Amino acid sequence: MQLSPGSWSILTLAVLSSIALYVFPIKPHSGESFWTFSLDLDLMYQPGIKGWNESHPDPAEQITTYVIGTDPLSRRLQSGFLSGTPVPDLTDVESSMVANFFSGPLDAVGFTDLTDLIHQEGLDKKINPASFSPWTNRGRIFGLPHDVHPVLLAYRADIVEAAGIDVSKIETWDDFIRVMSPLMQGPEGQRFLMNVWETNPRDMEVLLLQAGGGFFDQDLKPILNSEVNARVLATIVTWIAGPKRICVNAPDFDAEGNYLYLHGEVLCSLMPDWLAGVWMKDLPGMSGKMKLMPLPAWDKGGLRTSVVGGTMLAIPKRAPNFQRSWAFAKYLYLSPELARDMYRRVGIITPVREFWSDPVFDQPNPYFSGQASGRLYIQMAPYVPMRTSSPYKPQAVIAVNDALIRLKHFAESTNTFDVAALQAQARIELDSAQAVIQRKMAANAFLSSTQ
Amino acid sequence: MNDPALIRRTRERVRWGVTYAILLGFAALTLIPFVWLVCASIKRADVFFQYQFLPLGDGFLGIDWQALTLTYYRELFTGANFNFGRSILNSIFYASTTATLSTLFCAMGGYALAKFHFKGRDGIASLVLGCLIIPGSLLLAPSYQLLYHLGLLDSFAGLILPSLAPAFGIYLFRQSMINAVPSELLEAARIDGCGEWRIFFTVVLPLVRPMIGAFLLITYLGCWNNFIGPQIIIQTPEKYPLAVEIAQLKGLYSINYGMLMAGTLISVAPVMVLFLFLQKEFIAGLTSGAVKG
Amino acid sequence: MKTSANHTRWTPYFFLAPFLLTFCVFLAYPLYESAILAFSQTYGPSHHIWVGFANFKNMANDPDFWIALKNTTVYTLASVTIQLPLALILALILNQPGLKGRTIFRLIFFLPSLVGLVFVAMMFSLMLGDRDGLVNVMLRAIVPGFPREFPWLQNYVMPSLILASLWMYVGFNMVYFLAALQSVSQDAIDAANIDGANAFQRFLYVTLPEIRPVVGFVVLLSVIGSLQLFELPFVLLGGPGPERSGLTLVMYLYQNGFERSDLGFASAIGWTLAILLMGLALIQRRLSRNE
Repeated sequence: MQLSPGSWSILTLAVLSSIALYVFPIKPHSGESFWTFSLDLDLMYQPGIKGWNESHPDPAEQITTYVIGTDPLSRRLQSGFLSGTPVPDLTDVESSMVANFFSGPLDAVGFTDLTDLIHQEGLDKKINPASFSPWTNRGRIFGLPHDVHPVLLAYRADIVEAAGIDVSKIETWDDFIRVMSPLMQGPEGQRFLMNVWETNPRDMEVLLLQAGGGFFDQDLKPILNSEVNARVLATIVTWIAGPKRICVNAPDFDAEGNYLYLHGEVLCSLMPDWLAGVWMKDLPGMSGKMKLMPLPAWDKGGLRTSVVGGTMLAIPKRAPNFQRSWAFAKYLYLSPELARDMYRRVGIITPVREFWSDPVFDQPNPYFSGQASGRLYIQMAPYVPMRTSSPYKPQAVIAVNDALIRLKHFAESTNTFDVAALQAQARIELDSAQAVIQRKMAANAFLSSTQ
Repeated sequence: MNDPALIRRTRERVRWGVTYAILLGFAALTLIPFVWLVCASIKRADVFFQYQFLPLGDGFLGIDWQALTLTYYRELFTGANFNFGRSILNSIFYASTTATLSTLFCAMGGYALAKFHFKGRDGIASLVLGCLIIPGSLLLAPSYQLLYHLGLLDSFAGLILPSLAPAFGIYLFRQSMINAVPSELLEAARIDGCGEWRIFFTVVLPLVRPMIGAFLLITYLGCWNNFIGPQIIIQTPEKYPLAVEIAQLKGLYSINYGMLMAGTLISVAPVMVLFLFLQKEFIAGLTSGAVKG
Repeated sequence: MKTSANHTRWTPYFFLAPFLLTFCVFLAYPLYESAILAFSQTYGPSHHIWVGFANFKNMANDPDFWIALKNTTVYTLASVTIQLPLALILALILNQPGLKGRTIFRLIFFLPSLVGLVFVAMMFSLMLGDRDGLVNVMLRAIVPGFPREFPWLQNYVMPSLILASLWMYVGFNMVYFLAALQSVSQDAIDAANIDGANAFQRFLYVTLPEIRPVVGFVVLLSVIGSLQLFELPFVLLGGPGPERSGLTLVMYLYQNGFERSDLGFASAIGWTLAILLMGLALIQRRLSRNE
């Protein structure tokens, strides 16, 4: 039959491609597959994996990593857990991803429950307890933590010390503002003390957790509208707006923000250990100018650190050989070499307590003007606040952030910039945030029926 | 200057001038992104944002040929975390088999509705029309569940089977055959003792060649560019079609602009080529559903 | 066994079999399932709980749903009121008798619609860069005083979406209009000319009535497509975008149905969309019947 060349080409393609797929079938992966979501993490794991592969020559025990983006990783894991599509033998999971995995019945959680093993093998003594908290759901632990992520305050030592300021005298945020405010009049115009801003929920989370507030209690009930939260939000608003503003919008990972840092227009930044690693890589121009200090406390004697972010290593329930996966997981995450490498490459300190005495953390860090930055973070590590694994955490963060934004508008439109006065309004905004989250939680028939 | 013929001619010239200016302007606006895409896929990273198109320099034609590179294409096909060659094969397979099979089945269905009288014909014809208005998004969730129960998730069958005989195709072929296939011819063939299938393939189909070409390409295009279906159904990277593969690249390599654009170009070019072969039929077939006669 | 129409009785049914089979299994049954799912909550396809009208109540109480509805409506209106008139104007220009290169122009204008939404989104995510994106560079060259930076993808999300879909679909719709214009009977036009009508009157009283069915079809197609917008903002913004300004109904469905694995809620959203569409289709029917 006569057909146009275009039609024939499509028909031919159909035949050829069918043949091609038959002749080149998808090769099944031999050995163990290990999914991760970041190229950096993969780079860090390679030496450890090579060591394992060399000492385990059996092809079924060889580990291969697959770097998948955060969204596809989350999607494929979820599909694997709920719809039977392929799952890996091991996987990294980021704290922002877990929400979906914990939002159904407990027995539907796709990761293997490691609680008993962790207790039996004494890993709960070896590893910093607070590090397990984001991965513990309804009392069960579902992964090995990869980090602690304490938060310190990074500051422009060159400018601060040149002005004769002794940061060890600073104990609270009030001290901080009082002592540092004179620096806001720079030689080239106005400078700002920090880059906290309402468009960065991460900094807001850091401050809330530091003050003892947060989003959920240990029973996973929402506590968005606590007095502590209200006080923190009210304080943040006075920092980012009004006559006594001390902050400017200098986003991370952004050319604009970097410019402000480099030109000394922002003096301090809330710095978790992983962010310090990022700065060391992306902002070499700040090297030798920065130093780290504990966060100024909210009240005298209060907590001087916080926590944000995190990764865990988990083993899917459907992984064919749990023992092998578990052996590798322990090997990787409990290896002193990986701990050292992680710190050296990306500045992240290990959650394994017995490695904290390793001399690598005492090395003077030229980026932070010779301070032993690892040691400074480790000193804060035991005090890092606990977190929860609520599946509603991402939405709670958005809800509280929305409340912060509304509070800022209120302050600007009524010209109120006094913390005590704003606190009442903050409470009101947080009440609606609380209501939003409670409504969403009540809408989940799987969770509310087991409550 | 008062000569009416002259005024008329000048007005004519102005009118044509404006007309062509507008058309050329829009044509330029339409084509510029394509030119930009080609340039972006071969520009070195350091000059990427300096020059919108090709980097200028001291080379031949004033272009800095040294600043061009094919590494992105190399990387896509040979890099460790990429499956681009495989994705192309997957897309070709998915698009061409669906196109072939659905054209056949829709031609069959359209033929039945157009040229036969049987019980339920009008009912089925209305059914076809009704299907046209069902939004695809309504079927996403239940189809996913159905495919799960049938064990067809993460397979090509799961992608292809549901779209084997779309109502849209039945509608187009019915329209086309009502007009193009004279019933007398069919009668004559039957009287000659031809079997129904033989009539279909040797008499009917040749008469609707343009619609066959059009629908093949329409379906091919739809499958090639389909994203949400494969995104939900296919979970093994080696089975990803191009649309899903490229979206994943954007997540991991969001700042490797050259590579993203090289991937996009590879995904866009084949359809353009096919279209150049089938453009007349394609456009005729597409509009035949709307414009009578 | 031959009937009076001289063919075997079962032939048409055989020919329709693939359609009927596919229809029953992959359309009718899922449609029926979705009606049940809409009143359930699921955690993946294997955990179901009956929740009655809770899905619809939660949807109505969810501010994200209303944001999605608003965004989708705005986008649909913009598509119909900006894209379609532009396409019609281009078609009218191209339809002028004696125009040279009509086929080439038609080909050029049609090309963007061949590019999939995903790929268009990839291109525009770079072309709409704040400082050095192609779009801003061109605007700076044409518009005096255009700012050095214009954050399309941060503050002007809806205009970005409209711009991208304009590029994609104006040519596509123009082709329909052109085909319709070319089928307008020459006699009617000649008659109008004899009656002394000018171009505008000719358009209004002769052309427009004759192409009304095609216009209706194109509007319907455009509305159905716009209401289901998903790939473009999803790939362009990597999600709902800043302050959820790129959240559309189908994206809301995808996030709740497939990211949160609640197929029941997804079905409820799907039905809401379907009812919305049917409502619009009915309105269009009534409007065209009143003419």
